[in-house]
Amino acid sequence: MRAFSLNAVELLDYQPNRYPFLMIDHVTRVEPGVMADGYKNLTNNEWYFPQHFPGAPNMPGALQLEALAQMLTVAITTLPDMRGKVTHALSHYVRFRKEVLPGQKFEIKTAVLSWKRGICTGTGYGFIDGDVACEAKMVITIPEILDQYLPKRYNRE
Amino acid sequence: MDNNAKYDAVFMESFSVKPSELTDKLEYNSIPEWDSVGHMTMIAGLEDAFDIVLEMDDIIDFSSYDVGKNILRKYSVDI
Repeated sequence: MRAFSLNAVELLDYQPNRYPFLMIDHVTRVEPGVMADGYKNLTNNEWYFPQHFPGAPNMPGALQLEALAQMLTVAITTLPDMRGKVTHALSHYVRFRKEVLPGQKFEIKTAVLSWKRGICTGTGYGFIDGDVACEAKMVITIPEILDQYLPKRYNRE
Repeated sequence: MDNNAKYDAVFMESFSVKPSELTDKLEYNSIPEWDSVGHMTMIAGLEDAFDIVLEMDDIIDFSSYDVGKNILRKYSVDI
């Protein structure tokens, strides 16, 4: 499929999270079903910096991971008929390597390893000044799709 | 490895069960590991093991260890 970009407004059609939990600003390139890259610009005005931590602000690791997952989600929600679908995390394995500080640009690269029957496995990397700040292997799902393939005489757990 | 052994191996790997647990009582949601994600892991494992692609209706009907054997026969996999 054709690759394209999404600005801060356009990406809202493909990413259901909103302030204060939208962790990506711009999608520089998305190839639906294959990859999505973009970034989050960090300013002193981020809601978490005053408390994490006073005098030593840095982006919480859980939110770095959330940013990677949100970018990976865009690689799926840009597929035909997927726009606006809600995604859930199934499992994430993450490794943090570098602090992410106010004033920096958190660049994100994600790739879809598989997308089948509502389950996406993918990888994500967060970069600061070209260095890997964090990396993750992620499994996310679109429950609305997944549920269509489950035995029906049993309740979904 | 014959088809029976392949079938059992997929179940044991997908759900971390022992050979003694592969009985007619093993059903979707009968153990914590056979949840929605486990279901898709097991289906993908069977597709790889037998080089087949299961139809959506068969994935939905695949509700137990025993039922699955009958479903795979539709794909010329005798177990």
